[in-house]
Amino acid sequence: MKTRSGALALVLACAAMTAQAHVASNSFLSMQVKGAQVDGALELAVRDAEIAVGLDADHDGKVTWGEVRAAQGALVLYLRQHLQLSQTEGRCELSFGTVQINERIDGNYLWQPFTAVCPATVRALTIDYRLLDPEDPSHRGLLTLSAQGVAQTAVLGGSRALQSFDLRHPSVWYAFVEYLQAGIWHIWSGIDHLLFLLSLLLPAVLVRRNHRWQAVSQAAPALLNILKVVTAFTLAHSITLSLAAFDIIRLPSRLTESVIAASIVVAALNNVFPLVTEARWRIAFAFGLLHGFGFAAVLSEMGLPQGARLVSLVAFNLGVEAGQLAVVLAVMPVAYLLRSTRFYQGALMPWGSTGIAGLALVWFIQRAAG
Amino acid sequence: MIVAAGGVFSTPLAARPFVPASDAQVLAELPAGARHAQVSAQQLARGRLDVAVPLAQFYIGQARATGDLRFLGYAQGVLAPWVAQSAPVPAALVLQATLQQSRHEFDAALTTLDRSLAARPNDAQAWLTRATVLRVLGRYPEAASACEQFSRWADPSLSLICEQGIKGLTGQLETAYARLSDLSTQGMLDGEKVWRDAELGEMAVRLGRDADAERWFREDLHLSPNDFYVRAAYADLLLRQHRSAEVLVLLKDKESIEPLLLRLAIAQEQRNDPGLARSSEQLQAAFAAEAERGEPVHRREQARFLLEVQKRPREALAVALANWAVQREPDDALVLVNAARAAGSPQQAQPALQFARAQSLSDVRLTAAAGTRS
Repeated sequence: MKTRSGALALVLACAAMTAQAHVASNSFLSMQVKGAQVDGALELAVRDAEIAVGLDADHDGKVTWGEVRAAQGALVLYLRQHLQLSQTEGRCELSFGTVQINERIDGNYLWQPFTAVCPATVRALTIDYRLLDPEDPSHRGLLTLSAQGVAQTAVLGGSRALQSFDLRHPSVWYAFVEYLQAGIWHIWSGIDHLLFLLSLLLPAVLVRRNHRWQAVSQAAPALLNILKVVTAFTLAHSITLSLAAFDIIRLPSRLTESVIAASIVVAALNNVFPLVTEARWRIAFAFGLLHGFGFAAVLSEMGLPQGARLVSLVAFNLGVEAGQLAVVLAVMPVAYLLRSTRFYQGALMPWGSTGIAGLALVWFIQRAAG
Repeated sequence: MIVAAGGVFSTPLAARPFVPASDAQVLAELPAGARHAQVSAQQLARGRLDVAVPLAQFYIGQARATGDLRFLGYAQGVLAPWVAQSAPVPAALVLQATLQQSRHEFDAALTTLDRSLAARPNDAQAWLTRATVLRVLGRYPEAASACEQFSRWADPSLSLICEQGIKGLTGQLETAYARLSDLSTQGMLDGEKVWRDAELGEMAVRLGRDADAERWFREDLHLSPNDFYVRAAYADLLLRQHRSAEVLVLLKDKESIEPLLLRLAIAQEQRNDPGLARSSEQLQAAFAAEAERGEPVHRREQARFLLEVQKRPREALAVALANWAVQREPDDALVLVNAARAAGSPQQAQPALQFARAQSLSDVRLTAAAGTRS
């Protein structure tokens, strides 16, 4: 039998659609744990509450505030059956306050405050979330759970209806480790920051006399040069990274990325045609300010976790410093040993720098042209 | 699970809760099929397949017409007991695969279809859905053989649309377009005509015949005003031709559908329209909610939003790359090429361009985007 039916046509049309619809059904569940008590609020879309308990008493297709108030008892009963909090010592006793309304971008939500009193101080909390089960299996509860000033988040419902949260290990530590790693990874993978720094550090083991580079005779001045450049760069990008991370200043990414490329050109060319020979740390500081905005772009993609914003920012910055320091420690001793050679002074300094400048120039053109 | 990074579930647009001034204040209007009264039909559907299948189809149709993803959830709820049965129920499985596809769970959709086809190999709908999923994934040879299977059980003119649709993506665009244009629509149902016209419109776009494309899209929207897919393609055509004023008219009252809201925002951005702030806010809230759920289904739209509205090309590129890893339609290639170029890293678009070369995919928009060195 060849198929030709209305049912086929319907699904034909649907087959042609990829993801189409707006926001799926979400509730927002926030809880704060204090000792043996949990204070919280559940925000449930009016649309979802209608499915759950049937708010539209007069069946006119409109839900009014009066209908919501009349259904308060049914709503509380429904929540008692579909939301449970417990700990190993036993169930927590839930009591519900008076429902209010919260307006969100995708419509009105019921805002239902509640308090749970648990048998003992809550060190681990188990949440059983089965709202809209089985009517809408795609419904999820977006949980924000705070304890001792630290917030953790989770998605409740579906196959993860039952979840336990350990409140003893502050998630600050996880945030710290994660952002530290991100910082290290970023400096290693973002070769532009390293090339800028290396361009400024190549001449750190040399000294300019009579329009010629000469090797420094002792380690101390080289070390001081390195220290000044690295410190200036670090200080500068930490300042702007923090400003951008807390949204105090924002720059368009095209501008920062272009100027970062330009900064490498300037730093590298300064080795070939030296203008600034003594105070290269000033270049490091001035352009370091812009590199900070570059780091901030990465951080803004990751976002800063609430409750651990400062810790995450510091961790990311420390990661950047650690990654940078590792490279400096690997490269500079070799540079120091090679500093008297013709290879270092006659080849690496002029031609290596020219190569870096050329590469950065290409980046600059690409980024500026957008 | 602890999610240390990625931020707290944002309540950025949540104002303070309040008590409405009057009992008469309307808080929500309920579309058909979103009422508690229907829960009894859903309960009935748990025991009766002849209730479950049409009910699920109704919900899927509502999702499509209103852009409300909740309806897909209701459809899933109705199908759940049938899908869970150890003995496969093909009618439920095919609808389930459609749901999975619409959530971009493409591998899961293919697995579901395999199960269904194992039980009922002569199911035209299952083969067609399979062809569609494989096509979105850019797996054209497999999609072509699914169309071949489809043609064994379906009407010849429908088979032709399926088959030429793939040929039009794999080096035979001109001939496929001619074959489909010549196809007689006599005796076709509206839904089938819409399918053919949508294919023709997309082919005309890839051929650079914008006037023809416009004709197909208009015809389509006349037959099927709720077809947001065609409406989006038509809006893109108008945006390319800098006819943003017409886009505002075309998309009026369609803001609830995310892909259409995106086009509206792009048009508003081009016209400095004051409505942009609200559209942007809505889109950002929707993208944020998807990210929080861990289901970023609208990455293609998000990449275009970052690129064309917010002018943040590097972030757009990251999203476009993530999108390309999941779906590979010409529009996905296009947003990747555009984002890579704008971000100053055209080499990042290589995966898409290599794919296009390997498949002999021809698309004037892609050629123009890849060739421009602005």
